[in-house]
Amino acid sequence: MTVIFFSSVPSQNYFGKKMWIISFKALTGAISSYETLPVLALDLFNKEVIYICPFNGPIKGRVYITNYRLYLRSLETDSALILDVPLGVISRIEKMGGATSRGENSYGLDITCKDLRNLRFALKQEGHSRRDMFEILTRYAFPLAHSLGLPNHHWRITFINKCYKLCDTYPALLVVPYRASDEDLRKVATFRSRNRIPVLSWIHPENKTVIVRCSQPLVGMGGKRNKEDERYLDVIRETNRQVNKLTIYDARPNVNAVANKATGGGYESDDVYHNAELFFLDIHNIHVMRESLKKVKDIVYPNVEESHWLSSLESTHWLEHIKLVLTGAIQVADRVSSGKSSVVVHCSDGWDRTAQLTSLAMLMLDSFYRSIEGFEILVQKEWISFGHKFASRIGHGDKNHADADRSPIFLQFIDCVWQMSKQFPTAFEFNERFLITILDHLYSCRFGTFLYNCESAREKQKVTERTVSLWSLINSNKDKFKNPFYTKEINRVLYPVASMRHLELWVNYYIRWNPRIKQQQPNPVEQRYMELLALRDEYIKRLDELQFANSAKLSDPSASPSSPSQMMPHVQTHF
Amino acid sequence: MEDLNFMYLSYLTPWVKVVQPLKVTRSPLRLERREGEIVVNEVNFVRKCIASDTSQYDLWGKLICSNFKISFITDDPMPLQKFHYRNLLLGEHDVPLTCIEQIVTLNDHKRKQKVLGPNQKLKFNPTELIIYCKDFRIVRFRFDESGPESAKKVCLAIAHYSQPTDLQLLFAFEYVGKKYHNSASKANGAPLGAGGGSSQKTPLFETYSDWDREVKRTSASGWRVCSINEGYMISTCLPEYFVVPSSLADQDLKVFSHSFVGRRMPFWCWSHSNGSALVRTALVRDVLQQRKIEQRIYNAITKSHPQRSDVYKSDLDKTLPNIQDIQVAFVKLKQLCVNEPFEETEEKWLSSLENTRWLEYVRAFLKHAAELVYVLESKRLSVVLQEEEGRDLSCIIASLVQVMLDPYFRTITGFQSLIQKEWVMAGYPFLDRCNHLKRSEKEAPVFLLFLDTTWQLLEQCPAAFEFSETYLAVLHDSTRVALFGTFLFNSPHQRVQQSTEFAISKNIQLGDEKGLKFPSVWDWSLQFTPKDRTLFHNPFYIGKSTPCVQNGSVKSFKRTKKSYSSTLRGMPASLKNGIISEQELRPRRNSLILQVKPAPLEPRDSQDWDVEQFFQERASRPADLHGTILPRLSGAHIKLWKLCYFRWVPEAQIQHGGFITAFHKLSLLADEVDVLSRALRQPRGGPTPAPGPEQAPSRLYFHAGGPHDTPGTPDFLSSSFPFSPVGNLCRRSISGTPLSKFLSGAKIWLSTETLANED
Repeated sequence: MTVIFFSSVPSQNYFGKKMWIISFKALTGAISSYETLPVLALDLFNKEVIYICPFNGPIKGRVYITNYRLYLRSLETDSALILDVPLGVISRIEKMGGATSRGENSYGLDITCKDLRNLRFALKQEGHSRRDMFEILTRYAFPLAHSLGLPNHHWRITFINKCYKLCDTYPALLVVPYRASDEDLRKVATFRSRNRIPVLSWIHPENKTVIVRCSQPLVGMGGKRNKEDERYLDVIRETNRQVNKLTIYDARPNVNAVANKATGGGYESDDVYHNAELFFLDIHNIHVMRESLKKVKDIVYPNVEESHWLSSLESTHWLEHIKLVLTGAIQVADRVSSGKSSVVVHCSDGWDRTAQLTSLAMLMLDSFYRSIEGFEILVQKEWISFGHKFASRIGHGDKNHADADRSPIFLQFIDCVWQMSKQFPTAFEFNERFLITILDHLYSCRFGTFLYNCESAREKQKVTERTVSLWSLINSNKDKFKNPFYTKEINRVLYPVASMRHLELWVNYYIRWNPRIKQQQPNPVEQRYMELLALRDEYIKRLDELQFANSAKLSDPSASPSSPSQMMPHVQTHF
Repeated sequence: MEDLNFMYLSYLTPWVKVVQPLKVTRSPLRLERREGEIVVNEVNFVRKCIASDTSQYDLWGKLICSNFKISFITDDPMPLQKFHYRNLLLGEHDVPLTCIEQIVTLNDHKRKQKVLGPNQKLKFNPTELIIYCKDFRIVRFRFDESGPESAKKVCLAIAHYSQPTDLQLLFAFEYVGKKYHNSASKANGAPLGAGGGSSQKTPLFETYSDWDREVKRTSASGWRVCSINEGYMISTCLPEYFVVPSSLADQDLKVFSHSFVGRRMPFWCWSHSNGSALVRTALVRDVLQQRKIEQRIYNAITKSHPQRSDVYKSDLDKTLPNIQDIQVAFVKLKQLCVNEPFEETEEKWLSSLENTRWLEYVRAFLKHAAELVYVLESKRLSVVLQEEEGRDLSCIIASLVQVMLDPYFRTITGFQSLIQKEWVMAGYPFLDRCNHLKRSEKEAPVFLLFLDTTWQLLEQCPAAFEFSETYLAVLHDSTRVALFGTFLFNSPHQRVQQSTEFAISKNIQLGDEKGLKFPSVWDWSLQFTPKDRTLFHNPFYIGKSTPCVQNGSVKSFKRTKKSYSSTLRGMPASLKNGIISEQELRPRRNSLILQVKPAPLEPRDSQDWDVEQFFQERASRPADLHGTILPRLSGAHIKLWKLCYFRWVPEAQIQHGGFITAFHKLSLLADEVDVLSRALRQPRGGPTPAPGPEQAPSRLYFHAGGPHDTPGTPDFLSSSFPFSPVGNLCRRSISGTPLSKFLSGAKIWLSTETLANED
C-alpha cells in the first residue's frame, strides 16, 4: 500500500505525528533559509469503544483514526494498553453482529491485519458509530476501492507499468478493462501517442459508465489502423451495455486534429471505429492559452483598463477559452450521467486538455471531489499522476522564459473550478483562498507536489522523501480553506452554465496586486456567516448557563425568585 | 426537410397534433377578479406554450382580457416548477396590461404577422399571439383549436386596452372608484390605508409633519418646512410641503419661484451630521437673472450651514447621460438579454454588453454620487444638484447620495421613504417614464437605473442593507402594476387633479380628502403573503442594534456621531506581498512603486486628486456598515444585475445554484440565531419551554424547522429564484425551426414601423 496513483493524498508525505520537516528547496536555488512546516494528521474519528483483546478480554478504550493510522488508548486505570496500527496494515474490515445482537460486545468490527493479527472492537448500536468507523476505515485504508469501487468484474488493476516501461508519463498503477490482457495493452500502446493508452479515470457508481483518458491514435497521413486499438475501445464500450455506442471526445478543434495527421497523429474515424461516435470540443492548444493569458495581464497590470473594460476583456479571449473547456466538460459529464454512455477523452498527448476535461467532468459528477480531500485526490490523480507536465508548463527553476512549452493549463483548470464555485456557492467544501493557495504554490517550489513532469521522474528524484506535500500544509490548516456555505450533498450532478453571461474574470486572483481593485477581504458574505456562527455559539453558551442557573435555583427552594431581567443580560437584535 | 410546406404550416413538431384540446373541465374556468375589474373579451381552447423546444408541457385553457390584465386560466398545473412565489393580484400566467410592451399576432398558414397597435384592424385570423412584456418576459399563445373570430377579438382587445390614451382609463381609477362606492355604503369612511400594511409605516411626505420629522431626524438646523405650495399654488410638480433655508422668507420664495423651470425652486433633501446639506433645484430660466438669483439662494444655503461653508454646485445635465441616452441603453440591453438568440450573442457578449452602455451609465451615476458624498462628508460643503427640470437625474443622484451616507435609507422603511421623498413627491414623471399610456417618446427607465445602482451597492456591501435583491426586483415589477397610485402619476398634483376630476364624474364624495387615495405599493400585503414577504429580508444585514461578535464577546453596534465623522484612520503602513497601503503609494521617489500609476486618469486638478485619494483611503478599510458606504467603481466591479435581467431566460438559469443557495444557507443560521435570542429574552422560572418553530413567525423565508428544512439545498432553487423562466418563450424554439428565417428574429418585431403595415 505504498504509492499508487489513487493513494490518499497525504501519503505523499505523511508522518503520524506533528513533525518538523525541512522543505525541499533545491529547485529554487535559494537555500538561505530553510523553511519548516508542521505536518498534521487529519482527525477523522474519535470515540469510546471496547477493544476485545484476545489475551486480556474486553478493554474500554478511546479509538482515534487519522488518515494514517488507527490508535487506541485504554481508558482503564489498570491497563496501559495502546494500539498503534497504520491503516496500510489493514487487509480486511468486517462488521460483526447485527441489529438483533443481544450478547455483550457482540456488535462491532473485526479487522484482519496484514501483519498477522486481528483486531476486534465492540461498539454501541446507537449513534451509527460502527457505521462511521467502518466507512472511515474503509475509505482511508482502501482509498482506491473507496473512490471507484474497483476492481470489479469489468475493470482490473494492472501493474504492467510498475517500472514505467509501458508508458513513462503514466502512473505505475493503471485500471484497464478486465478483458484486455497486458499483451493487448502493449500493442495498443504502440498506436497511441507516447504510449498513453486508454485507461480508466472514473466509473459511475450506479450506471457503471466510465470516463477513459488517453492520447491521440497514431493514424498519420496514411490512415494507419491498429486492430488491437479498435478492439480495445470496443472492449471498453462493452463494459457498459446501456448504449451501443462509445463516445469519443477529441478536445481539439477539428482542423487541429486533422493537422496532427501530418505529424503522425490523428483521430478515430468512424469508418474504422464503427461503434464509436467522435466529437470535437474545439479547445485550443497550449500556445493559444499562453498568449491569451498574456493579454489578460496586459489589461490588468499595472493599470486596469477602464474605459473599455468589457471589450478589452473579450479581446483577450480568456473567458471564451474557459467557456470552451467548461462546455467540453459538461458534455462529458452529461454523456456519462444522462446519456449513459461511456466516454473516451483525448487531445494530442492527453496531458493538458484531457486532464482539464476529465477532472472537471469528475468534479461535476462526483460530489466527493468537491470536498477538500476529494479535490486534493483529484489533482493528485488526474494531473500529477497522469503526467501533466508541470515542470515544462510552469518552467520550475528554468530561466528560459520564452519556452514554448510553458502554458497556464493548470491555472485555467483552477479558474474553471472557481467559475463553478461562483455558480454553486454551497457545493464546494473549499473556498477561494484554497484555490489561490494552490496556484501560489504551483510556482513557489516550496512543496514537492507540482515538481517534475511525471510520476516516474518524481520517483527517480525521490520527491516524496525530500519534499513536503502542499496538501499537508492545507490539511493542517483546513479551517482557513473551508467554505462556510458548504452543504454536503451526495449524488448531485452539477451542471454549471457555461455562458459568457455568467463567466467572470477572477478579479481576486488576476487583479490582486492592484490596491484599487482589491476586493474586500475577507469576503463580506463569508464574514457575515462566521459572525453569525460565533453569535450562535455565544447564545448557546448563555442559554446553557441560564439553564444551569435555573436548575440550581430549582434544586434550592430557599432561593428567592429573581426577576428575569436580572438573570440574563439583555440581548438586543434588530429582528 | 422534404416537406417544406408542412414546416410552414406549423413549426411545432408534427406529433404535437396528437395533443388533445381541452376536455370538458371539472369546473368552469373563472377569472379571479379585483374590484372594478371587467372582462372585455375571452377565447377558449387556447394553448399556452411553455417550453421552448417541445410542446409537451403546453397548457390548455382560456385567454381573457380584462381592463386590468390578460389572464390565462387553466386547470393544468404549471409544469417543471417546484415552488410558488405568487403575486396575490396576479395569477401565475397573468400579465398586467401596463406591463405589455408589444403585441405580435401571426398566422403561420398565411405567413402573416402584425404588430398590433390600438384601434387597428387585423385582416387575418391569428394562429398565434406573442406578447413582449416590459419586465422582459415573452409569452406565447396558440389558437389552433380556438374559434378564429374570438381569437382575433381577444388580440384586438388586448392591443386596445393595453395602450389607453387617457390616464383615467388606467385600472387604478376603476378599482379605487369601486372601493369608494363600496365603502360609502359601510359605516367607516376611509377605504384604504395610505402607506400601511407593514409594521412600520412608510412616511409618504405628503404632510408637513413627515418633512418636519425628517428635518429633525437629520438634525438639520437652519432649515424649515414651508407651506407656500399648499394646494399646489406655486408649482404643480413640487410637493405641497418642502424644506428651505430658514433665512428665506415665504415671500422671497414666491418671488424667486418664477425664475425657475417649472417653478421648481431649490428644496432640501437631506443634511449630513456635519451640517452640510443636499439640495436639488431646477434651472433658472432667465440667463440674465441666473447669477443674481443663484447668489441669493446660495447665500441662504451657506447661512443654513453651521460652519457657513460654501455651496458646491453640481450640474447634472453636463456631467451625466441624459434620459434619452438611458432609454437607448436600456432598449439595447433588453434586446441583448432577451430578444437576441442566446447562442449567437455569446461570442460577442462582453463587447455587446459594453456597447449597450448600460453598465457605463450605472457606473457614471454611482461615481458621481460617490464624488458628492466626498464633497458633503470630507469637504463639508453643501451640495446643490442642478438639472433643467430637476425631475430625473436629480432623483437618482439625490437618492444614491443618501443611500451611501445614511444607513436609515438602507432599511426597508427608510428606502421606501426615500423613494417617496426623492421620486414620488419630488415629481419624477412615473407616468411618462414608465409609459403607462399609449407609446410616448418620454419613456426612460430612470427608476430602474436607480434600483440597479442600489443593487450594485447591495452586491458590494451585502451586510449594509436590510432588503434583498428580490425586494428590488419586485419593487421594479410593481411599477408595472397599474393598481397602485405610487408609480402612476407624473406628480402628486396630477394625482389630486385627475382623481378629483374622476371622482366628480363618478359621483364619489371626497369630503376633506385631496383627491382619491390609491393603494400604496408599500402596502405589500396587497401583493404578497406574509411568508412571501419575508424574502424581502436580507439575512446578511447587520442592523444598527444587531449584536456582533468582537474578540469573543457579543457587543451591540450603536450608531454614533462618530460613524459620520471623516477622521482619517488609515491602515498602518505595510508592504506585504507587493501590496502597498494607500499612504505609501505616492511619496516614495525612485522606488519601484512609482511604476504603479497613482490614478487611472491623470488628475486634472487637485479636486480630482483628493477625490481619488478619498476613495482609495475608504476602499482600504472595512466598510462602515452603519456609516458611509462607497461603491467600488472599476469596470470589474460594476456588474450586470442578473436576477433582474436574466430571470426569464431559461438558458441562463443555473439550476440548484446561484447566490440564492448561499442566501438559503445563511438564512437557516440567521434564523437559528433569532430563535436562540428569543429564547434568551424569554422570562424564565419554571420549566424552560423548548424554543419551537410555532413561537413566532420567522422573519426569514428559509428557516430551520420550515417546510424546506432539509439538510441540503432545496431542489427548487436556481439563479432565477423566486422567479421562474418556465413559460417564458425563449429564442431557441424559434431559431431552431424554418420559421425563424421567416420571422428573422425579434429585432424586427420590436420596431413597430417596419412591420405595422404588413397585413
